[in-house]
Amino acid sequence: MPKDISRRGFLKGGVSLAAGVAAGMAAGPLVLPGAAQAASGQELCTVLDLGKCIGCEACVDACRAEWQPTVPDPVKPIPQPFPSRVPIEDWSSRKDVQDRLTPYNFLYVEHLELEGKVSELHIPRRCMHCVNPPCTSLCPFGASRQEKNGVVHIDQDICLGGAKCKTVCPWHIPQRQSGVGLYLNLLPTLAGNGVMFKCHRCLPLVSQGKQPRCIEACPQKVQSIGPRQEQVAKAQALAEQAAAADGRPGQWRDYLYGLEENGGTNTLYVSPVPFAKVNAALHELHIQQASQEAPAKAGQGRGQAAKGGKGLGRRLAQAGRPPMGPVANSMENPENLTLALAIAPVAGLAAGLGRLFGGARKLGRALEARRQDADKGGQS
Amino acid sequence: MSAHDHSPGGRAASWTYGLAIGLALFSGMAQLPIMKRYYIADLPGMAWAADFFATSDLHYLAAALLLMMLAWRLALDGRLAGLSWSWGPRTWWGWGLLGLLALTGAAKAARNWGLYLPPTTMLVLDLTHLMAAMAFMVTGLVSLVMGRKEPTRAGMAEGL
Repeated sequence: MPKDISRRGFLKGGVSLAAGVAAGMAAGPLVLPGAAQAASGQELCTVLDLGKCIGCEACVDACRAEWQPTVPDPVKPIPQPFPSRVPIEDWSSRKDVQDRLTPYNFLYVEHLELEGKVSELHIPRRCMHCVNPPCTSLCPFGASRQEKNGVVHIDQDICLGGAKCKTVCPWHIPQRQSGVGLYLNLLPTLAGNGVMFKCHRCLPLVSQGKQPRCIEACPQKVQSIGPRQEQVAKAQALAEQAAAADGRPGQWRDYLYGLEENGGTNTLYVSPVPFAKVNAALHELHIQQASQEAPAKAGQGRGQAAKGGKGLGRRLAQAGRPPMGPVANSMENPENLTLALAIAPVAGLAAGLGRLFGGARKLGRALEARRQDADKGGQS
Repeated sequence: MSAHDHSPGGRAASWTYGLAIGLALFSGMAQLPIMKRYYIADLPGMAWAADFFATSDLHYLAAALLLMMLAWRLALDGRLAGLSWSWGPRTWWGWGLLGLLALTGAAKAARNWGLYLPPTTMLVLDLTHLMAAMAFMVTGLVSLVMGRKEPTRAGMAEGL
């Protein structure tokens, strides 16, 4: 079995078939964009060919123009959560920030300067839309959702802003805006703290058969979207070309990001330089940015990021600029433990029924004898 | 002679069931982002309570243990009439809640193997699982406060 086909992926076909019959697939099929329309119901995947990106940020502008108005302004004053150590996160006065992820900015572009043949690289960053997203699987309220076409999005009418999705996301993508959302109508000081926002890959547009704005606006055609299987093949071919061009034929995995990260994502990056080098450069850049921003942003955690030490990578990522290092499958344990859940009742039944022809009768007789002894004791 | 002596598995089974229920409820509550917020994870030795993945794993293990015990009990009950049990639900309400928890939990877990569930279905499953767990916890607490009678064969027969 090829390495990039996980057990989950292998099982998915059979389970989905059974589930389709059992669940009746209550949701209607989405109208899918472009080439994917022919493959209705398929998981869609995007491929970003970073060699083409010139860093013009047309994608960012298009995304902001379309979606920033959909993020509400908070009530003022924003209720102070209890206990007081729970931070209010308010980006409403900094909607212009577009060099990182914020609740009002779902997409930004990293501008890297590198040494070697490729001297600069521009990387659009947003939600990776994982195949088995921990944000969705672990959201206790069903606010984080995954559509059949692979889009992972957050329902802002349901989200309470607990930020669990951000904690469990390996890239800490979702961003919180306090003072908005359902929690204001429930227990605004005791539970919840706003709403989490992130890229939803233009779900409302994609549902109408349109392209995501970032793809539509790109003058360089950096990004493409289509059925996952086709896109994976395309990304692999591009990565093989990139590896060969870099003098490392056969090492294509080093030039592809998102295929195996966190068990697989529906955002595949192909780079002309190895991602280990990209990630190292990103790390340096993020430390610089954190240092510059620390005085102005003291109290939002970025001051800590500038200091380094334990958990530096995590703190940098928490600051809305995700790294591109290797990411183990965070859902591996739940995937394995699902097997334990499936086996447990069978084992229990087998243990009970296994005693049928000997042990169970013996047990019944022993218990009956005990009862009789107890009854005699009670009578005497 | 205590009720444990009449119950298959004896005292060990009762303790195992109690432990599994306690772990399932605690790890389930830990899936809400409250352990860090409300200082529970700050208690000595409790830092793990704020680790959503650790508590999720614990929840799966506790659920597996419960499913195994309940299946074992049902298998024995199906074969041997009149067994008395010192552990487990004693009312149809309790069995119903556990059944609901098992079904919704299983459906949610099946996502890990690629089962696609529409978002609205997931929402219903999540909220049903949450509400059923809260109802089960409240029922258990009320049962503890009000006092639990020793299970009797007559009581079992009446579904009490």
